[in-house]
Amino acid sequence: MADKIGLTTTIPVEIVYAAGKIPVDLNNLFITCDAPGRLVDRAEQAGYPRNICGWIKGLYTTLLEQESLRQVIAVTQGDCSNTHALMETWQVAGVAVIPFAFPYDRDADLLRLQMEKLMQLLGADWEAVGRWKKRLDQVRKKAHEIDRLTWEAGVVDGQTNHLALVGCSDFNGDPDAYEAYLDGIIAEAARNSTQGLAGDRQAVRLAYVGVPPIVSDLYSYVESMGARVVFNEVQRQFAMPFDEDDIIEQYRRYTYPYSIFDRIDDINREVARRRVDGIIHYTQSFCYRQIEDIILRQRTAVPVLTLEGDRPGPLDARSRMRIDAFLDMLAR
Amino acid sequence: MKIGLDLGSRYVKAVFMEDGRLVDYRCYDTLAFYREYGRKVDGELVVDYERLGWPTGAAITSTGYGRNLVKLAGGQVIPELRAHTRGAIFQTGLSDFTLLDLGGQDSKVIKVAGGRMVDFRTNDKCAASSGRYLENMAAVLAMDVAALGECRDEPVELSSTCAVFGESELIGQIIEGHPIEHLAAGVNRTIVKRVEPMLRELYSPVVVFTGGVARNQAIRAMLEDALPVQVILPAYPQLNGAIGCAV
Ligand code: SF4
Repeated sequence: MADKIGLTTTIPVEIVYAAGKIPVDLNNLFITCDAPGRLVDRAEQAGYPRNICGWIKGLYTTLLEQESLRQVIAVTQGDCSNTHALMETWQVAGVAVIPFAFPYDRDADLLRLQMEKLMQLLGADWEAVGRWKKRLDQVRKKAHEIDRLTWEAGVVDGQTNHLALVGCSDFNGDPDAYEAYLDGIIAEAARNSTQGLAGDRQAVRLAYVGVPPIVSDLYSYVESMGARVVFNEVQRQFAMPFDEDDIIEQYRRYTYPYSIFDRIDDINREVARRRVDGIIHYTQSFCYRQIEDIILRQRTAVPVLTLEGDRPGPLDARSRMRIDAFLDMLAR
Repeated sequence: MKIGLDLGSRYVKAVFMEDGRLVDYRCYDTLAFYREYGRKVDGELVVDYERLGWPTGAAITSTGYGRNLVKLAGGQVIPELRAHTRGAIFQTGLSDFTLLDLGGQDSKVIKVAGGRMVDFRTNDKCAASSGRYLENMAAVLAMDVAALGECRDEPVELSSTCAVFGESELIGQIIEGHPIEHLAAGVNRTIVKRVEPMLRELYSPVVVFTGGVARNQAIRAMLEDALPVQVILPAYPQLNGAIGCAV
């Protein structure tokens, strides 16, 4: 069986596949396990501070508990500076860490260099990377179609949209199976639309922006209150929503690792196109992205609700109260 | 007769209104209220109105923190911030203002324009500008909350980050030998510092101040010093949410 290799976030995953290895996005593994809260507790028992992001702590334990994962690609620039210390604690535990940096200024040469170093290290060449890009783009196209079925046709709910897009960071380690899973969603959506099961057209239309939620029931709660999430910002970026043949350009256009301003341009475009009434900006407690919230609020045209999550588990009563108030405000 | 019920985190407030007039009100300790008058039937909270001695046959609308935890059988439920907005509009007759509600455990700032809520902020997971914080700090200073609310001169600088660390910081300052009144003024000042950014963000020249903390005169005066605002205290600051349910 091919080697597995962990990822701390989205990287040019074509390279991992081209090297004949199986990528495993640790975030997805962490948050979908039976008791993610326990993994956070474990990290704290190992000495991780209380006031550090829950995702970092979850990732820490997730990797250590996976015997089959002794190698990880960690994004050292373009994601989170906590990752540096996370890498170091992994190294102490005997994990081989491969750093990957998205250049802050989106410099094409630097990005190419990073990708070439990764290819060299894993043993992949441009030819194979190009082939994998073509294959993965076919799968991504289906994720884009699901996204369109969400906002335009209204036959896919926000949670399904979130799951379909977020999984494109690693295609669950098996692009063929992932494609079949996406095909299943599209088929189900087609059934819904022939049966006239499109979502409520009067519903408040929301955008979800920011890192994926650590809380478990955000989508179901929001939708139970009569609203619909029609845009998942970062998740959509994970699915590379561009028609872009050049792989370097693709990872330059990918907004998440670069400045907040690129993200805001993307958000504003999609908010207008998808006729969004309000934005939920989700941030983690103790994350630097809480500072960027200031800018986001100034530069978006529709009302913003900032939600803060800390540990895995259901939404707390305060967050629910805030969501209720926000939806109430938008509905009137 | 309409009954408005605000299921707060510390107190349950009930108002009784007839033809748009407040005819009576009651306050209950939240835990005692649920323990003595409530029981859960099929996930709904059934309140024993007879034991409460409330008039029968009245329409009941509730809101509050408890709204997320319980549904009141036979009653209507409205979102908390809507109730507060409606209460403040009813009590003041204004339609453009910023509502500042500092309650038992949380704080809310709501911008109201043209009689509608247009934006809001609430504190996240922190009780450092709430009534609970004032009570704790008053206890450390061995004063009652009402006396603390009169101290506004020469506030001692206290960091305003956390309700729990605030206590040990205050004890440190007592040891430094500051007069109690100046320390009490410092405590009031920390609340103003915490809400000031929210009031600036959702600015209106008129601030309607509600919740238990609104009785603190020093905080009211300090708010007017810190910002170009006129602070208005409605007749029943603590009943504002309940009134908003009954109008
Ligand atoms: S949410 Fe923020 S702090 Fe947490 S891992 Fe992501 S970037 Fe880092």
